[in-house]
Amino acid sequence: METPPLSWFETFVDTLPQKAWFRFLSNWVIVPYWNWRDPKPRLEGGPRPALQPSENLQRMMNLVMPLSDPSPIGRTRAAMAIAQNTDEIFGGLDNVGTVHTARFVLIGDYLCMLSVYDGNFSNYIRDFIVAVGSVFDAVMELVEGGDKLIPTAHHVEEFIAWVHDHDLFQVPDFPTDLFALQDAARGLGPDAPPHALRSLSREMILQFNANPNVSLGGGYRAYPGISAAQLRQMLGVGW
Amino acid sequence: MSQDGLKSLAEQLVDALKIRGTPQENRPVHSFGWGARGEFRPSTVAQNYCKAFHFKHGANTADGLQPGVKATMRFSNGAGTGQRRDSWSDVRGMAVRFHKDETTATDLIAMTLPEFFASTPEGFAKFARKANYAPCRRQTPWEKLADMLHLIQPMPDPYPGQTERPDEGAISYADTHAEAQLAVLQAASIGAPQSYLQATYHAVHSFRVTGEGGTHMVRFEWRPVEGVRPFDDTDLPDDFDRDNFLAPDLRDRLKPSVDGSEVKTRPVRCALMMTIGENGDNFTDPSRPWPPRRKRVFMGMLTVREACDTDKMSFNPGLLTDGIEGTDDAIFLTRIEAYRYSSKQRGGTPCPFAEGR
Repeated sequence: METPPLSWFETFVDTLPQKAWFRFLSNWVIVPYWNWRDPKPRLEGGPRPALQPSENLQRMMNLVMPLSDPSPIGRTRAAMAIAQNTDEIFGGLDNVGTVHTARFVLIGDYLCMLSVYDGNFSNYIRDFIVAVGSVFDAVMELVEGGDKLIPTAHHVEEFIAWVHDHDLFQVPDFPTDLFALQDAARGLGPDAPPHALRSLSREMILQFNANPNVSLGGGYRAYPGISAAQLRQMLGVGW
Repeated sequence: MSQDGLKSLAEQLVDALKIRGTPQENRPVHSFGWGARGEFRPSTVAQNYCKAFHFKHGANTADGLQPGVKATMRFSNGAGTGQRRDSWSDVRGMAVRFHKDETTATDLIAMTLPEFFASTPEGFAKFARKANYAPCRRQTPWEKLADMLHLIQPMPDPYPGQTERPDEGAISYADTHAEAQLAVLQAASIGAPQSYLQATYHAVHSFRVTGEGGTHMVRFEWRPVEGVRPFDDTDLPDDFDRDNFLAPDLRDRLKPSVDGSEVKTRPVRCALMMTIGENGDNFTDPSRPWPPRRKRVFMGMLTVREACDTDKMSFNPGLLTDGIEGTDDAIFLTRIEAYRYSSKQRGGTPCPFAEGR
């Protein structure tokens, strides 16, 4: 069957998303309008609680800390605070024992700690304070709002809450689960009633407005469901 | 549900899935397919998890590999339309039969969609009726504009020549049935693969496997060694046949090359991965995939060697073997009956092994 040619108006509308003025209009008028009409609560960071053992292994922490001085000098101070304490960080993480990987990264105006750990988040941070609290004291001096938490060893619960607040929201593995997360954040039951499926794109746009920095999905693992301790044992590398 | 109830529901399902005007001898879905033969070789750890014949570890052959079992497979487009449309967005299927000998075999049926549309047969029957192929049209510019202003992506335009599709009905069903939303969303944007052997195929049901290491609840998926690649329609030659390129692609990939007096075959491979479920996972609901954090085991490698005709073959998800059991998943049980009924209806070769299982 012959497809009729498109009218100029059809072509015009089809190409709107590529037009700079329409993108500008979307970002400055349409999105703010919907954000005013249907604001989304900021969703919690970190992995979500789950019963399954593998959900409690190789969990990802994406701690994003705004630098109080993001100038090159401030960033250098942050880099020096990490570099001067490498022995303490590595030794401390060995002692924590449940950490697969951890690294500090400077991105834009943020100092980030990206780590993969086993077990409970609060216990991880608690162990971390015991093991490398003095390094974190040095780091917190450089981070917006961090001075109130120094020394971290004396503000354990506040520090845990602060870290959780600065851990990135992890976008669900299955996109439609976003509806249930948004409902839960509003104190509603999941899918009662179900959401219109095509509204998912709007829900995502508005959620990215509330959580601009996110972890996209839970990430890939080469050996999922295996703890750091199991790996060490299998590899015969002691402790 | 009684066996008779299952059978009746399965028959209703097959009838609901049929598209008006398609020939009786066609499968109601996955009508267009391409058959191939090859072999499956288990990994060295497979039998720890499953004692089924095709996972048994034996002495290496002269080429240093595990002895394999013969495998017959059928790759297919999901639609039950009367015309092949390889470049159209559609779920693709991969059915594999592992042969122990002339009388014993087991099937593994998988598709590119990682989950099913419904969690109950009744739900699937409703979905099948609602999401049947229906007349479709291009949205008007005003409708598209309204969608954009609502931050909603407009519906894709029908392909040239496309007059019917299931999308609108499926979305309308998903709007009121949350369990269907993930499958409908993913099916609507699944696209087409560059090759049948460049897509991941998921056997969406859970199975109970028993091996030396005990019993586990698992799900299987095929991962192509050549990687996953969606269809790329840029820079295609003028004579490229968009409706029929997947079967020719495989024929080309498998075509032997002659190097002097030596004829070299060019097999294509797929890895069989098995994901182990955990307490708290749903083992009877195929509409819910498991997160990618479950333990994954490499169970073996399928080598596709040559084309063969499988159109009359009747695969069945219930054709299992010692070491692999199904669960009480009602969709799985209904599919077993639906495959039997469909095979009978289209005059397929009845599966000699499946009866009574």
